[in-house]
Amino acid sequence: MTRSHLFATSCLRAGLAGFAVLLSCLVAKAQGQSPTLDIGDEPGRVSTEEVVIEDGPFARQIVFFRSNEAPGTLVVHTSERLLYLVMPGNRALRYGIGVGREGFTWSGLVKVSRKAEWPDWTPPPEMIQRQPYLPRFMAGGPGNPMGARALYLGSTIYRIHGTNQPETIGHAVSSGCFRLANGDVIDLFTRVPVGAKVVIRHGPSI
Amino acid sequence: MTYVTRVLASALFAVSLVSGVASADTLADVKKRGHLICGVSTGLIGFSERAADGKWSGFDVDFCRALAAATLGGPDKVEFVPVSASERFTALSQKRFDVLARNTTWTLQREAEFGFLFAGVNFHDGQGFMVHRDTNITSALEIGDRTTCVQAGTSGEALAADFFRENKIPAKLKVLPDAPATLAAFARKECEVMTTDQSGLFAERLKLERPASAVVLADVISKEPLGPLTRADDVRWHMIVKWVNFALIGAEELGVTSQNISEARTSAKPDVRRLVGAEGELGSKLGLSDDWAAKAILAVGNYSELYERNVGTRSRLGIPRGLNQLWSNGGILHAPPIR
Repeated sequence: MTRSHLFATSCLRAGLAGFAVLLSCLVAKAQGQSPTLDIGDEPGRVSTEEVVIEDGPFARQIVFFRSNEAPGTLVVHTSERLLYLVMPGNRALRYGIGVGREGFTWSGLVKVSRKAEWPDWTPPPEMIQRQPYLPRFMAGGPGNPMGARALYLGSTIYRIHGTNQPETIGHAVSSGCFRLANGDVIDLFTRVPVGAKVVIRHGPSI
Repeated sequence: MTYVTRVLASALFAVSLVSGVASADTLADVKKRGHLICGVSTGLIGFSERAADGKWSGFDVDFCRALAAATLGGPDKVEFVPVSASERFTALSQKRFDVLARNTTWTLQREAEFGFLFAGVNFHDGQGFMVHRDTNITSALEIGDRTTCVQAGTSGEALAADFFRENKIPAKLKVLPDAPATLAAFARKECEVMTTDQSGLFAERLKLERPASAVVLADVISKEPLGPLTRADDVRWHMIVKWVNFALIGAEELGVTSQNISEARTSAKPDVRRLVGAEGELGSKLGLSDDWAAKAILAVGNYSELYERNVGTRSRLGIPRGLNQLWSNGGILHAPPIR
């Protein structure tokens, strides 16, 4: 199957779940990145605290990053699938992320309002409609799709969280928000206090 | 200057301009030939590589494909001529190819003395450092008294020495005869640090047994602006090469990609419509079809797609964009308006 075919199929499938979903697919497409990874949530699949992206472009690394944002700010580039923690001296600590459907639907400025270790998960109704096999509630732990840590963003339903599917890092994925491998989200969690500024950026659209 | 002489002078200038165009018309040559001839590196991971089946790929190769698409309508209408660093300028002068797209640094001498024109910058390279991960060094200022391996006879040797002296870093330089020997010494841990251009460091790192055991630092201590170049005797051709580069950068800024190029034709944004040739008739001013840029973008994608696929996050190299981000994103890539 070609890339575009794969994309069309996953978009079509997602499109059945409603207009908002279709819209987010179009956003992902407009940014010319790899198509949405056709993978559902896998509650129960275990991923431990040790799992980090070890090598390759999406491994945690210090990069040149010039920004007007103060050190300590988080900048999320959805089209790049990268998250930057701004450091002094034109540097940032860069993490690879997976961006879920919800992650594309909104951009702007928020603050980290709460932090949680091994967060519980209550999939929203839209997600259950798309993936009826999902549990209605799941306690936090290594088999939880929310992963090892979560940073809650403002008063929104959005969050930066871990994952039990580390292979989705670097991709657009069918659900969720901004996900990091568990070891990487733990690293981020220790560096970012409640109150930290978070900037979400998407690529331009035609 | 009197009015008459001024008129005379400008008339003479116009004549020389016209005759200049007449003596070198690369676009006409390319169209007559039916394909573009592009000088590239003999082999450089991410920039120009030839697969076993003879197919070329890479950042520089894709630029040639974009140029072929813009001028001839097809990205495969290119012949690639691999040239070494020492023969590249003679080969360009002798018209062995129409354009040189071979990680070449833009300098004054190469324009004023050799008679070439750089069509812009499509990759800002610069000298950097690679360290073993277990040294826990995160900045070039932390190198201290460790040993740095460098290849003999390169500008890197002098630049590293200057950098260490200026910053009062007591580092020791170990000079190796060539690139493989330099990497081998680094791999054997005869040196904790290795230095060359950033693009080279990321490429060499892949040859290590465990690439993840080494880290390329974010520090860049020199500027090596790389870009395609043409002979200076054909200004129109130079302009075409230049604006193809600008079109790819401009497309990223406008959000036009290889995926949405047909939707872009119906965009409501005038800048987008002009770029893809839905209005403005700009291509014909370059002697091309009005969808010249659309064809180039369809062939290789916008700058971001071109970069990420060949040298960025979608490639083995994984070179962070750094200075090669758009000006609006903290980098220095900038394209003048296409209008």
